[in-house]
Amino acid sequence: MTPTQFRRMRDLFEQAVDVAPSELTAWLDLHAGDDREVRDELEALLRAQSQAGSFLPADVASRLPDVLSDDPGLQPGDVIGSYVIEREIGRGGMGHVYLADDRDLGRKVAIKALAPRLVRDESQRERLRREARAAAGLAHPGICTIYRLEERDGDLFIVSEYVGGRTLRDEISSGPKPEPGVVLDTARQLAAALASAHANNITHRDLKPENLMRTPKGQLKILDFGLALDGALDRAVPRVTQPGMLVGTPGYMAPEQLNGEPVDARADVFAFGVVMYEYASGRHPFDAPSALGMAAHAISKDAAPIAEQCPALPPSLAAVIDRSMQKVPDRRFRSASEIVAALEGGGAPAPRPVSRDEVAAWWRRHQLSAIALYIVAASLSWQIKEWAHGLSEMNFLLIAVAATVGGMFRGFLLFNERINPAGFAFERRRSKRILVVADAIIVIALAANGVIAFVARRPLVAAIAIALAVVIAFLKLVAEPTTTDAAFSERSR
Amino acid sequence: MTPAVTSSNDDRPDANVAAVLVYNELRRLARLYMRRERPGQTLQATALVHEAYLRLADGGKPWVDERHFVAIAARSMRQILVDHARARGAEKRWAGIDRVSLTESLVGAANEEAMLPALDEALTRLEALDPEQGKIVELRFFVGLSIEETADVLGMSPATLKRRWALARAWLFKELGGG
Repeated sequence: MTPTQFRRMRDLFEQAVDVAPSELTAWLDLHAGDDREVRDELEALLRAQSQAGSFLPADVASRLPDVLSDDPGLQPGDVIGSYVIEREIGRGGMGHVYLADDRDLGRKVAIKALAPRLVRDESQRERLRREARAAAGLAHPGICTIYRLEERDGDLFIVSEYVGGRTLRDEISSGPKPEPGVVLDTARQLAAALASAHANNITHRDLKPENLMRTPKGQLKILDFGLALDGALDRAVPRVTQPGMLVGTPGYMAPEQLNGEPVDARADVFAFGVVMYEYASGRHPFDAPSALGMAAHAISKDAAPIAEQCPALPPSLAAVIDRSMQKVPDRRFRSASEIVAALEGGGAPAPRPVSRDEVAAWWRRHQLSAIALYIVAASLSWQIKEWAHGLSEMNFLLIAVAATVGGMFRGFLLFNERINPAGFAFERRRSKRILVVADAIIVIALAANGVIAFVARRPLVAAIAIALAVVIAFLKLVAEPTTTDAAFSERSR
Repeated sequence: MTPAVTSSNDDRPDANVAAVLVYNELRRLARLYMRRERPGQTLQATALVHEAYLRLADGGKPWVDERHFVAIAARSMRQILVDHARARGAEKRWAGIDRVSLTESLVGAANEEAMLPALDEALTRLEALDPEQGKIVELRFFVGLSIEETADVLGMSPATLKRRWALARAWLFKELGGG
């Protein structure tokens, strides 16, 4: 078809749209009968038009900004400060990593270009600068040294020592299980490097096999210190409430970290345990098909003892690994320095770890007894109300309402603890004040009922009411903080 | 990435210079916006084009007015989206779609990205027959302009534009194998 034919066909198409279907054939013969090509094409197009429906919606245009802002990355030869990019050596959630040449000092460096979304606003950039500065102060052969922070057009580049070799992830996924001696040596190197950071009050927060590199000379090095930022896990973690909150990688994050609670060196200790477990056994302790599943296991399921997976491991090392992975931070080593000591000493046996399930069972029993006591308190008040009218009626009402609310919340907590471990810490915090108020009302009203019963000459009932009030108060003020703290390591605030 | 923009149907001498300029500005602006972006806020392609025009609007630039600018930008966007789809292996995915689900894919906007390279080639063939058809598709589909806006840029009545857009869609639909 020629452009001229097309033009003729276009004009006919515009008219044909208004022609009734029944008359179309005659219409086509009349207007395009002299040019078979135009006629057939026109007929085919009219047919296509009726089928095309919503063909070519303009949605593609809405994707354009994303496509345009796709970070094209740095190209070989690009210059950042006094560094010339040689090639890209990796990319991840944090951004792209390049091998570059330091022109001034004539050495190889690694440059991490932080992903644009990490440096969107000034406060985020400022935090990154601060973290990089702190991490740059670390000098240990087991930690990849940070040299400089470069900025260009609002982009941040972290220049660090270039570490060649294989990551622990490579070793885990390729090789056979390492010899126990190698595992011990790896654990010692990792603990020593981590300890030097902890001694400077710096935590890593995103320790994982991908971040651990073994140089050809056998030196283990921790990469990416002070860079554990959000975004590395794409909303996989529940309760990331504040933008820019520090998080890590599910599967290596400690339960308190997953719950969005403040973390300290003990979160690194947890990650150390998981990494060593996985390295020694080739199996992840909280293996699950999804990131969310791993996080759920890390929060609520105890890993099988490492000795079951690797019977050949020195018992002291196995104990260190098991203790590092305790759910409750207080039961872990306080920092990597303690791990170093435990591994060097070799002899000092770690205390028998109490499993979280054992303690949680006590917490559950506590909740159930509290609910039972509510029922007793309400029934007792009902009885007292029958004997002595007046104030006791209001007391009964108060106790009934408080017991219903309190019982409901405790039941809800029990449900969450079993079914929704991820949201449990949040629900616990949320219901704390309500439970305090409910219990206080019950205790006061019960005590008042005790007095009323005493005046009504029922000293036995009075004693029971007062005793019940004391028991509920004791449970709330002393017992509950203890069981809760033991089970979930949260001090009563 | 440098755009190899050659608009055979644009008779203005500086078309290539303009295209590169516009391309770079679009990319720069988009990155700037994405960095400032807040959840729930999306950047429209049309807004992006307008913003780019305002930024490049001072004198001595190789376009006549905003209409001309939009036409250049539309071609840039087509190039960008098609290149991006190619880089992500769209052709292979498109080839993997069987005849039965092809019509469905075309109509239902599924596999839209996979379709882009094939659509681009078909559009090039259509332009050879009628350059105006190519411009209509670029403005409507690749920039997302409305019927009225497209008609305004091309200087024709909305009614005419609507019919010619229908023709372009029918032609491409048939060409891509749905007819």
